[in-house]
Amino acid sequence: MSTIIKAINVSKVYHKTTIPVHAVNQLSLSIEEGEFTAIVGPSGCGKTTLLNILGGLDQPTEGRVEVDGTDISIMKDSELIDFRLRNIGFVFQAYNLIPVLTALENVEFIMLLQKRGKKERHDRAMELLERMDIADKANSKPSQLSGGQQQRVAVARALASKPRFILADEPTANLDSSSTNNLLDLMAKMNEEQKATFIFSTHDQRVMDKARRIVTLEDGTIVSDVKR
Amino acid sequence: MIAIIAWRNVWRNKGRSLVVIGAMIIGIWAMAFGGGFMQSFLTSYIESSIRHETSNGQVHHPKFTEDYDIQFSIEDYPSILTFLQQTESVESVTTRSLVNGMISSSRQATGVKIIGVNPKEEALVTELNTLISDGAYFEGISSNPVLIGNKLAEKLKVNVKSKVVLTFQDIDGNITAGRFRVAGILKASSLAISESSAYVLKSDMNRLLNIGDNVHEIAFTTISGTDDEALANTLQAKFPNDKVESWKEISPALVFMEQWMAATLKILIIIIMSALAFGIINTMLMAVLERIRELGMLMALGMKRVKVFLMIMLETIYLATVGGPVGLLIGYATIAYLGKTGIDLTDYSKGLEAIGYDSILYPMLQPMDYMQIVIGVITTAFLASIYPAWKAIKLKPIDALHTI
Ligand SMILES: Nc1ncnc2c1ncn2[C@@H]1O[C@H](COP(=O)(O)OP(=O)(O)OP(=O)(O)O)[C@@H](O)[C@H]1O
Ligand SMILES: [Mg+2]
Repeated sequence: MSTIIKAINVSKVYHKTTIPVHAVNQLSLSIEEGEFTAIVGPSGCGKTTLLNILGGLDQPTEGRVEVDGTDISIMKDSELIDFRLRNIGFVFQAYNLIPVLTALENVEFIMLLQKRGKKERHDRAMELLERMDIADKANSKPSQLSGGQQQRVAVARALASKPRFILADEPTANLDSSSTNNLLDLMAKMNEEQKATFIFSTHDQRVMDKARRIVTLEDGTIVSDVKR
Repeated sequence: MIAIIAWRNVWRNKGRSLVVIGAMIIGIWAMAFGGGFMQSFLTSYIESSIRHETSNGQVHHPKFTEDYDIQFSIEDYPSILTFLQQTESVESVTTRSLVNGMISSSRQATGVKIIGVNPKEEALVTELNTLISDGAYFEGISSNPVLIGNKLAEKLKVNVKSKVVLTFQDIDGNITAGRFRVAGILKASSLAISESSAYVLKSDMNRLLNIGDNVHEIAFTTISGTDDEALANTLQAKFPNDKVESWKEISPALVFMEQWMAATLKILIIIIMSALAFGIINTMLMAVLERIRELGMLMALGMKRVKVFLMIMLETIYLATVGGPVGLLIGYATIAYLGKTGIDLTDYSKGLEAIGYDSILYPMLQPMDYMQIVIGVITTAFLASIYPAWKAIKLKPIDALHTI
């Protein structure tokens, strides 16, 4: 298995008040292709900050992040946008979907940005919605879907762009326990079937239990890294 | 798909979009209607001034216009007359003799401009006969008939058939008086006609003035579409001893009025457009601020800023292109309808007539004016969309995502 992400001595310092906050502190981490990894730790330990840096949404104050050997920490804003579109799938905690588009259109949209053909877009979107068990809601608007259903569409969309890896920052934070289980099972299924690499953060013990690697952060540094 | 998203976004907050669209419709309607209304005001005023007062052009002795000294009659007026009659673009010509004097009834006396006319030609040139509201046009009186305006008649407390005396100086400086009888009363929006003019036969006038055949004024009308200024210049070159003027020179006020109306219309348009622009900017900024997370999400996913910018601009332009044509159509319909039926301002016409307007107006707008409004609205919408769109792309996805 090849290494996709290499974070080397990454630090992120915020100066909100006069006291600097080391949200991420001298952190190094490698992610291999096909991983199903949970980033866990107490609130404020730096999970979101780390995922944002890995996803090219935020720049580290120090250190660098390589994706497939390319240093993304020195990329310009416009390059990063394009890089994210081609290489990274995102599932956010909420407000994932474009409210005026149907589930199907939301999944197609990301492929449209990638300039894929109409038929390919439609077929792939339908296939992924089926795999995510939400094809029956293909023509529903996000507002007509439950939180769990919305997250399943968001995962389908993240997969649709054929990214190198998918980042999900607390994807289950707004879900009840059965929806949480269901979403995680589907993600795990996609991880196996589609060889999709997932990195997600969570507070939830049940979610951690589904992960095959658990990286625990505390004060911006890795305190344990367990593979199962 | 960006176009589709933008279109659907417009209808996300139906109420708000409809308010903006409604404002656009009203604004554009107001511009079209206001423009048409003012245009008709102006045209009606200018046309009626030319028709009844200045005519398209006049000829005088160069010194006559300074202080109405009756010694200065037009040099060689018969050849000017002949020339004008042979000019194709000239519709009708008339000659007049003029003097300032006094008019008195048994009750009152007042200063007046006395105009000696040839009834037939005068009727062709100024349609003076159409202004008769009481009595007849130089008829029904055996000798020395006079026509006076209704306001003057009121002032003098005279009626048709009443006697009046006109007093003025003849060519030798002697005070002359003539007894006249009111043949008809003239009702006109022009104050000059209704308040301070007395029309008599040129023959009566010239006899009293002792100026023989001479005339002080030639007035002529032209067929529509004639360049009156050019004609006046040609005439002037041909008859350098007299002074030829087009209506624009005779009545600079009309020209000023034309410019003033145009400027007022521009200001009106600018005001309405700015109001529209601020309405649009405000609405779109709200739409952007409401959707910070969503826009952040789009940019996080990899939607280029250009596309986000385009999307917000499209939303704005959609707002404008829905409201624009509707407003224009309603404006056009209003003008087309009122252009036929006219707007009856009789209820307010006391004031209007006092300042010289007709009381029924026919609004009109040239295709060019509609084009201007369309271009104006599109430009406004376009400019107004830039700021909200700019705001949208200035968002950093990470900050936007974390906004609550
Ligand atoms: N934009 C910011 N400005 C200043 N400080 C920040 C900012 N974002 C995060 N921090 C700080 O950095 C630290 C790490 O924050 P982060 O959001 O990464 O934690 P987290 O592990 O995701 O927490 P949670 O589990 O509550 O989501 C916290 O102390 C936080 O206050
Ligand atoms: Mg977090």
